[in-house]
Amino acid sequence: MEARWEVIVVGGGHAGCEAALASARLGRKTLLLTRERATIGRMSCNPAVGGLAKGQVVREIDALGGAMGLVADRTAIQFKVLNGSRGTAVRGLRCQSDKALYAEEMTRTVNSAPNLSVGEGTAAGFSLLGGRLGGLTLEDGSTLVCGAAVVTTGTFLRGLVHVGDVQREAGRWNEPPARALSDALVALGLRLGRMKTGTPPRVRASTVDVAKMARAPGDARPVAFSFRSRGEAFPRQRQVDCWLTHTHEAVHDLIRESLPLSPLYSGRIVGRGPRYCPSIEDKVVRFSDKPRHQIFVEPEGLSTDWLYLNGLSMSLPEKTQESIVRMISGLERAEILRPAYAVEYDMVFPEQLDVSLETRALPGLFLAGQINGTSGYEEAAGQGLVAGTNAARVVTGDEPLRLGRHEAYIGVMLDDLVTLGLDEPYRLLTSRAEHRLLLGADTAYARLTGTALAFGLVTEQEAAPVFEAEARVARVSEGLSGARVRPDRATRERLAGRGVSLMEETTLAGLLRRPEADLAKLEDLCAEMLDGETAADLAALRPEERDRLVADLRYEGFVTREREAIARVARAAERVFPDGFAFNGIPGLSAEATERLERHHPRTLGQASRLPGVTPAAVTLLLARLLSFRRGVAA
Amino acid sequence: MARLVADPDRGGDVLVATATPPGASALAVVRLTGPTGATLAVARRIAPRLPEAPRPREAALCRLVGEDGQPLDRALVLFFPAPSSATGEEVVEFFCHGSLAIVAGLLAAARAAGARPAVRGEFTRRALANGKLDLAEAEGLAALARAETRGAARRALGLVEGELSRRVMAAREKMLDVLSGLEAALDFAEDVAAPDARGVADVLAAVAGEAEALATTAARGGARDRHKVVAILGRPNAGKSTLFNALVGRDRAIVTAVPGTTRDAISETCEIGDEMLTLLDTAGLRATEDEVEKIGVDVAERAGETADLVLYAIDMVLGMKEEDEEFLGKGRAGQTLVVGTKADLVGGDAEEGRVEVLASARTGLGLEALRALLAARLGFVQADGELLVLERHRAALVSAASSLREAAALAGNLPPAPELVAARVREALSALGVITGETATEELLDRIFATFCVGK
Repeated sequence: MEARWEVIVVGGGHAGCEAALASARLGRKTLLLTRERATIGRMSCNPAVGGLAKGQVVREIDALGGAMGLVADRTAIQFKVLNGSRGTAVRGLRCQSDKALYAEEMTRTVNSAPNLSVGEGTAAGFSLLGGRLGGLTLEDGSTLVCGAAVVTTGTFLRGLVHVGDVQREAGRWNEPPARALSDALVALGLRLGRMKTGTPPRVRASTVDVAKMARAPGDARPVAFSFRSRGEAFPRQRQVDCWLTHTHEAVHDLIRESLPLSPLYSGRIVGRGPRYCPSIEDKVVRFSDKPRHQIFVEPEGLSTDWLYLNGLSMSLPEKTQESIVRMISGLERAEILRPAYAVEYDMVFPEQLDVSLETRALPGLFLAGQINGTSGYEEAAGQGLVAGTNAARVVTGDEPLRLGRHEAYIGVMLDDLVTLGLDEPYRLLTSRAEHRLLLGADTAYARLTGTALAFGLVTEQEAAPVFEAEARVARVSEGLSGARVRPDRATRERLAGRGVSLMEETTLAGLLRRPEADLAKLEDLCAEMLDGETAADLAALRPEERDRLVADLRYEGFVTREREAIARVARAAERVFPDGFAFNGIPGLSAEATERLERHHPRTLGQASRLPGVTPAAVTLLLARLLSFRRGVAA
Repeated sequence: MARLVADPDRGGDVLVATATPPGASALAVVRLTGPTGATLAVARRIAPRLPEAPRPREAALCRLVGEDGQPLDRALVLFFPAPSSATGEEVVEFFCHGSLAIVAGLLAAARAAGARPAVRGEFTRRALANGKLDLAEAEGLAALARAETRGAARRALGLVEGELSRRVMAAREKMLDVLSGLEAALDFAEDVAAPDARGVADVLAAVAGEAEALATTAARGGARDRHKVVAILGRPNAGKSTLFNALVGRDRAIVTAVPGTTRDAISETCEIGDEMLTLLDTAGLRATEDEVEKIGVDVAERAGETADLVLYAIDMVLGMKEEDEEFLGKGRAGQTLVVGTKADLVGGDAEEGRVEVLASARTGLGLEALRALLAARLGFVQADGELLVLERHRAALVSAASSLREAAALAGNLPPAPELVAARVREALSALGVITGETATEELLDRIFATFCVGK
């Protein structure tokens, strides 16, 4: 392995791969350092990509030139849009993946990327050069020189796996942890915490009776994550079903009886687990009135016998797990191939990072993924992409990529991480985004392609079809808004037959805004009323673009109001604190916020708002004080 | 949202401050606040006889010693253990004699014992940091200190005691309940069923109604924080200045038998009911060639146009005259109260069509009735549960109510668009956050995870 690199990425999981690919894409000589080549792109937990809020992130990654979307599209064995009957902003794209194919495809992507090399080794420490990161030392004692590094250790930092009262040091089931790096991070002055996550049992498919379960099929018309999948066969893999079964009271009784054996309840596990992904022990204890819980039985691939029991993560002893599993309908004879386990690991409290994901303790050092306290492949990949981009840019002395809360879920996540901090593993939810209506998966390319192009993350050839499609949707939308529909008798009757009433003159766009109308009902009307070119544009729209067109019309009023709010915030952000403005003694401002403000003495309200501990409520207070200061009401 | 606990870097100091205004007085109050143990230690350096574990909230008479160890004063000392104190920290209060030397000596002794003089607002900040006050309550505290009238003070007290906060919080609770149901179904579509649309619409409409009612109360309360202006108008020598003096309670205006004595408008505050108002005495209305008096008449007419209420005086001995008819005929009927003066000279039972109340400033006859009528006409009648609400609060409530109305309407639509309903409820919540200083996101998530079994 060569000793000199511009950017080194430590770890080859979902964060590491995107980080390395982004850095290489920006032309930096990049090394992806992994303990073992064979583990690149491995899915440690569920065999799925996307979901609510997460599907939007995959689209954002795709718009920013990342790999996850395309790799998922090529290796998926089921596609499903969650919230499909609800508005486009809250629809979540998700697929079931063939785990082996996913890792294979990601490895191929990494191996074929220009400027990117893969090396095996375990990072143990950092070397400094003039107050910046100068290189890494490895556990074998060798050293590597670099201009910047992205550390993505996942659950490996002092990883500890629990099954009942059995515990062993491991980052995943049987992979050794990273032992030395935690101390090196602490030595930099970083504050570390401990988190816990869990994964359910895997069982042998041939021992499972799916006839006793409900079929959970995918969508008849799969929707791809990646824009780039349009140029190739899709879906590429054979599509399969998942299955649904349930726990019942007798299972709950056994779990309750066995609680003393669970390290979660005996106090053996100290790390905090996520509330949104509770273990079955937690569900039974906290929601004792629920008579049953869902278990989704998901294949881990086309050419494997492994099934994933989604909903049954726990840390009870193996024997007890077997009893529990076999009480469940369809799993009576199930053979457990790998028991459920919990894993504890070190993380770095992310308030110590800039929103670019660079640590403040050591310029040039970036962190991404679970080390920042998040959970989920998509969250990790999104951070990896940002950290890799910014590591590359710091080497060339360029301004970092920063995504706003109104621009991307990735922006919401980064802002939450560095300003709010966290006390449980962080997962993205659509309810975390105050501008949720602007952040639909369908708008990801419109939101981010310009930025991606400006930062060199996509080429002009890649961006061109995106801009073309955007322009087409805009032209059709304009055409619909200009096409007047008059309530003459013939039109009224024609529409009434389709459940759409027409009382006064409107436009095609006006009709489409009605909840009871949709594009299919008005197809012929549109074809007649639009001019030839616009009608051709409409006919050329893909199904998702048609949905987007209608959604844009229906969201219009809401989006306008949100944009106004964003503009107000942007204007407020430009406000400058005058000389003599005192940050102390503002009633309602927390001691923490006051202390930060006094220490950093921000120049503008926008800068103040980006300080950790300065919440939106605190910004409101500051703004009020600024206004009264102007009027001379200093009290 | 979790309240922030005292910050380790800044919350560590024991603070000292005088709670009474500067200057000599009979008594002065000096307060300490800070961490448990450290605060009491400072207090015991100043009052060595104070027990190691003083009884909470019981006054102890103690000798105080200065930084040089010499006796300073004998004072009552009160101990408040955390968190049952004004700041939520350990607090000790000294009620000492109010000489400048004693107070200065006490402050110096506290500093020598390790306390730091508080900067302005620091006690309040600690109270906020410890969750003793929210933003509305802190504002109420400021308003209480500024209150000029008993009514304003009572409303401010309502705010301090959290009446507004309680009612806003109750509305907010309901909104968060509805929202967490909507959000849980959006974010955990596979685990949580969507809430019943009709039920959501009904709750939102009801909360909108509450916010509207609160805003209306707010408008009434807020309007009263400004002094109302009442102008006394009438013909020359109608007894305006006499009435003016009687109402303000002292001989402020010169009274003579010579018509046209008052030239300029004279203003004075006057208490009616629990409220203060500004009373204007003006020049008598008549056509005159006297240049100075003419200006006075113009001033009087303008005052009559801009005042909240005109108190029009009619000399009951002379009865209604043409000028009176002319003025009263100009309208502003709702803003005019006609008083018959010199009622003692006509036996108190004279009748005159437009006169609403008879009064005699000389005997005091009818003055109480006049005051009551003024209070009623100016809307000074106290309603139960009335709140002092700053304009900021009213605006927030109005905006929240309007977002909730929209949300309720959207919730009734088919097919349902829960993300749009949620957008409007969030807008309403963030408007209310202006009153309580809290944002909802974290609280919302807490509620979702506590209420719904989500996740796989």
